[in-house]
Amino acid sequence: MKMKKFTALAMAALMAASMTACGGSKGDSASASTSAAAEEGGFKIALIQQHQTNAFQIAVTEAAEAKAEELGVQLTILSADQDAATQISQIEQCTNEGYDAILYEPVDPDALGDASKVAADKGVIVINIISACTDWESFGISALSCGDNVTAGETEMQHVADLLGGKGNIAILTGPSGDSGGLQRLEGYENILANYPDMVQVVEPADCGWDTASAQATVESWLSAYDLDAIVCENDGMAVGAGNAAGADSGIIITGVDGTPDGFEAINDGRITGTVSQDGGAMAANGIEAAVKLLKGETLENNTIITTNVWIDKENVAEFE
Amino acid sequence: MKQNRNVKALISDYFIFVIFIALVIGLTIMKPSFIQPGNLVNILKQASINGILSFGMMFVILAGGFDMSVGSTVAFAGILAALLGNGNYPLILPLIVAMFAGLCVGIVNGVGVSVGELPPFIMTLGTMTGVRGLALLVSNGKPITGISPEYRAIAAGDIFGIPMLAVFLIIVIIICSFITSKTVYGRRVYACGGNLQAARVAGINTTFIRISTFAIAGLLAGFCGFLMTSRVTIGQPTAAESYEMDAITACVVGGVSMSGGVGKPWGVVVGSLLITVIANGLDILGVSSHWQKIVKGLIIVLAVLIDVKGKGKKN
Repeated sequence: MKMKKFTALAMAALMAASMTACGGSKGDSASASTSAAAEEGGFKIALIQQHQTNAFQIAVTEAAEAKAEELGVQLTILSADQDAATQISQIEQCTNEGYDAILYEPVDPDALGDASKVAADKGVIVINIISACTDWESFGISALSCGDNVTAGETEMQHVADLLGGKGNIAILTGPSGDSGGLQRLEGYENILANYPDMVQVVEPADCGWDTASAQATVESWLSAYDLDAIVCENDGMAVGAGNAAGADSGIIITGVDGTPDGFEAINDGRITGTVSQDGGAMAANGIEAAVKLLKGETLENNTIITTNVWIDKENVAEFE
Repeated sequence: MKQNRNVKALISDYFIFVIFIALVIGLTIMKPSFIQPGNLVNILKQASINGILSFGMMFVILAGGFDMSVGSTVAFAGILAALLGNGNYPLILPLIVAMFAGLCVGIVNGVGVSVGELPPFIMTLGTMTGVRGLALLVSNGKPITGISPEYRAIAAGDIFGIPMLAVFLIIVIIICSFITSKTVYGRRVYACGGNLQAARVAGINTTFIRISTFAIAGLLAGFCGFLMTSRVTIGQPTAAESYEMDAITACVVGGVSMSGGVGKPWGVVVGSLLITVIANGLDILGVSSHWQKIVKGLIIVLAVLIDVKGKGKKN
């Protein structure tokens, strides 16, 4: 306690000295006062997740907590429960409560611009993680830490194309229609499919809303009417459902995205072929690191931080479990 | 009066059955693989969980209630079953725990509605939200993996080519049909839904009857949770989202009156099969998901409309 008071006093003295010495330029005083705050128990950072109801999101929570501990910052984690209005109020609330930085994964890419701008104007560092807001830079958002859903989709479909030798009947299972992450993965699929005219989608992509049971029913129905060589799914949960419908070692190539425990289990017992990891944990950790850098007055080399994705199959699944 | 009601219910069953057969014939013509044995097995498998839930819902609606919480209960019971179904305990344990959890949720609903006199919609909306939260809390939001092969085999197995899931559904149908048509208890459920005041005056313990119908719905939802985990091979806290709506739809399409007191188990079977056949048929036809939603909505409204009009004419 005494020590803390002493450092605070020392910092204040230093600040006063620097102000007189440099003629009190605005930038200097700001960075000095924030680092004083850092000495007194660290920065206050809020992370607002889209929701906390699947393995991907829990990985985000856990990685963020670990990073906050490592960097010695106070982290508060909130969940917007998939509701954009809730998320807007949470951003406003955190701004009023004097958080130094706010990180969020937008529920809706178009809904949070104004709330972010208000926060940024009040001097809060706003960082967008996991999926990008539309025109994020124009709303005062300092950095974007995300994976690339289009690349993830491309990686997945490219592996399917290689495994099929560029030829075969395929079907696609998507997340809820209109979900931006899902649409970007679909865009990635289409980019690759454009190169392989012999890979034919025999049915329209089915919206299974990330749900295992729903994917399982759809694929059971498909398999009784269509001869499918590959089933490409936008997440692991649906890939597991497809794998259950087809059975272990069915000869049908079934792939997912995310790299969650249910997917790994199904890769191990041969129900699904592989998955593309989307390292949500790294996205959150990089976001927090960027926030702390900015709060310390440093600059970022690049304000878009991309986390790479990795193809995981039976060969390397053990490294990720 | 009772005679009249029975006639009404019979005609209602008959109409929905005609619509069902017409749909099956139509789908067979459009896509012959629809009627293949393999696909019929699929339909049975896909109808089972919803069918069992619909029977629980039938009791609640017959007694004049309404249950929004069964989907969440399936997820919660499924998570508990997944946690206990990793091979360390005999399979009877996850089964009993899942059904007991469902039963508890049902009793809470029933007490809230009949003792607390809350509207069923409000009471079960509360448990729907709360129990979903419990499922997320217990599982920490993650899917539960590591289900033992024996547990998985329950939903994947079959007897003489009939999937086990369908066998469970048939057992539930037989028991529920017997209870509603042959027992004093069954008649009292109808009486509560027909006219609660009259039933009370007639000396029926309406509080007990109403609590028990919610308890049956909860118990069956718990059982569905156990089966669901076996079928999808993981325990998912987000599973069975909006299953209560499918169960309610099956009841209403099957001729169970939302105001209570009217409806036959047979209708619920057809209603439940109708919903499954629509989804399965549209998947087989390769119809895009967006259109599927529109078609499903239209068929539900049309089926009930034709049903109601048909009833009107006969009267």
